Amino acid sequence: MTRGGILASSAAAVALMVAGAFVVASGSDANAQAKKKLAPIDIKGDASTRPWKRYDRWPKRDESKFNTLANLASPAVPTQPRKITGPITGDAANGAKLVADRTRGGSCLACHVMGPAGGANLPGNVAPDLSEIGNAGREDEWLFNYVYDGRVYNKDTVMPPWGSHGLFNDAEINDMVAFLKTLKKPAVFKTELDDPNKRPAPVENRENLDPIDNPGMWAVEKAQALWKQRMATGFSCNTCHSNPKATFKTWAAGMPKWEPRLDKVLGVEEFITRHAKATTGANWLMETDENRAMSVYLHYLANGVAIEVDTKSAGAKAAIERGKELSHRKLGQLNFACSDCHGISANRWIRGQWLGEPKGQYDHFPTWRTSLLAIWDIRERFQWCQVNIRANELPPDAKEYGDIELYLATLNAGLKLSVPGIRH
Amino acid sequence: MRQLSRRATLAIGATLGAGSAALTIFGWSDSASAAAKEAAAEIAKFTGGKTAEKGKITIELPEIAENGNTVPLSVSVDAPMTADNYVSEILVVAEGNPNPGVATFHFSAVSGKAEAATRIRLATTQNIIAVAKTSKGEFFTAQKLVKVTIGGCGG
Amino acid sequence: MAEKPRLKLPKQAKKGEVIEIKTLMPHIMESGQRKDKDGKPIPRKIINKFACEFNGKPVFSANLEPAIAANPYMQFYAKVDASGTFKFTWTDDDGTVTTAEEKITVG
Repeated sequence: MTRGGILASSAAAVALMVAGAFVVASGSDANAQAKKKLAPIDIKGDASTRPWKRYDRWPKRDESKFNTLANLASPAVPTQPRKITGPITGDAANGAKLVADRTRGGSCLACHVMGPAGGANLPGNVAPDLSEIGNAGREDEWLFNYVYDGRVYNKDTVMPPWGSHGLFNDAEINDMVAFLKTLKKPAVFKTELDDPNKRPAPVENRENLDPIDNPGMWAVEKAQALWKQRMATGFSCNTCHSNPKATFKTWAAGMPKWEPRLDKVLGVEEFITRHAKATTGANWLMETDENRAMSVYLHYLANGVAIEVDTKSAGAKAAIERGKELSHRKLGQLNFACSDCHGISANRWIRGQWLGEPKGQYDHFPTWRTSLLAIWDIRERFQWCQVNIRANELPPDAKEYGDIELYLATLNAGLKLSVPGIRH
Repeated sequence: MRQLSRRATLAIGATLGAGSAALTIFGWSDSASAAAKEAAAEIAKFTGGKTAEKGKITIELPEIAENGNTVPLSVSVDAPMTADNYVSEILVVAEGNPNPGVATFHFSAVSGKAEAATRIRLATTQNIIAVAKTSKGEFFTAQKLVKVTIGGCGG
Repeated sequence: MAEKPRLKLPKQAKKGEVIEIKTLMPHIMESGQRKDKDGKPIPRKIINKFACEFNGKPVFSANLEPAIAANPYMQFYAKVDASGTFKFTWTDDDGTVTTAEEKITVG
């Protein structure tokens, strides 16, 4: 049985597999799948480490008391505002400190301009400017309850339930209300850039495919070397795919895909794990350097191709519906849904960061991140979104992430891949 | 991966500014003015105590840096760059960094242009100051304010 | 795995032309400000000098401080009057010197 560069077509690859050449951990499954002309995938194990352990460098909070994409746990929504008897007299100076305190879930300034709070240093504009709320004729009870749990006044509010979700206690909310009552003048910004309504939207114009501008491009070289690396089985990717440029010219633009053998959506990264395991025997779990490099490479090979995923099959249709629903689920202690930040609040500033809309958020993944000096694939991006809003993340191969990724891909249909991206 | 993250810097800033609500000017603290003094000392060493004339240097920096980890910087002087008249050095300091020194660029008569670009790290919103020295012993200076973005959710 | 420096400059130029040169040196540029998970400071280790010569003569150089971002990028210019070789040098705090060369045809 010959190995190496003679096999130039996938037909030959199938022939090799049908002939029982792949004797790997997943046993005869690979050969059975190959007989059906399906790319062999390991259908037995998980595609990431179990039990899933959060990355070391991420905050250690455990948010099991609140909703995740896989689990509903958040406390019930109050139906009535809390009764406040008598005027609120809190410590306005402490309130000014609390509204600017980023360690308490971002601070109010993430969304609101609030007069002099925080030095009016790059506040956000997701929500109304409260600089003159002290003159707006609002009752103390109303102010208290809006902070405690604004859903009693607006069931669709994006406002986190700061009180009922335990982020601030009553005394602290009283202090913040006392501060709000002092706000009677428009904010004074030190520079025009601080005013979120005057701040220009960021423009991304770096040469993301130039290795001198984007260290993420080094992943392409790494993957090209991995491609040829023979595993213990003696096989490499190159054994069956000796012309990746031609073979994968459009492949990644059609991912992610509904996978009936696993009853879930498979993204590129999970496919890499399962397909490598079933063929060369490589153990490239999701969120390993090898997996990320290969994901960059497989997307890179389809650069310039418009994203176009299957939306017609029954499995895909159902997954897209689920993904859409999940993107509207309120998650975590801060009680945000994907659609809160990237739907109704899109194209606004959250503190000093721009909230993008879903279209344009998928075509450049995996991406190099300048703030972390690391490549992130879309699943790690999803995970951080959760942890950042104080929700527990799921393992990267969670089926819920697959549903959301497929839904996100449909919202990016027509955009051309340009991977690796380069972003903050 | 940089431990002196925006979060850490801002936590310090928030605590220091909290003392008087009216003066919550982010970031200005004793350590910040110490850095500014150090920056001034570095400049004085570079110019040998001479006062640098304002102007002639173009500093390119984003008005808002997306993060403090990698901020593109370019400095240039519109100068003839001939054998008897060229910009020999440009010093760059960051007033608000724990150590203000950033780089010293050395040019020659065969540089063609007195221009260099790199990527720098900024601990916080601050002024970047450039001082150019010519082969004739003249000094020029310019500065630019860069706001370092504060992240949204707070991590 | 060790990464090599990246260079971007034209292969040909006219006599007297001013060309743009871009270089990137993979390097963590450990500033000395960071602490490990036990709270101990991670010692500084950076590229502290970059130099470019053409046919043995200095063209451009830079003294770098920890404020230079990881994977130090340098963009600068050179006036070329004759064919020859550019030599680029990066010096680490620990004394290691990395070099790269690139030829150019001028005429």
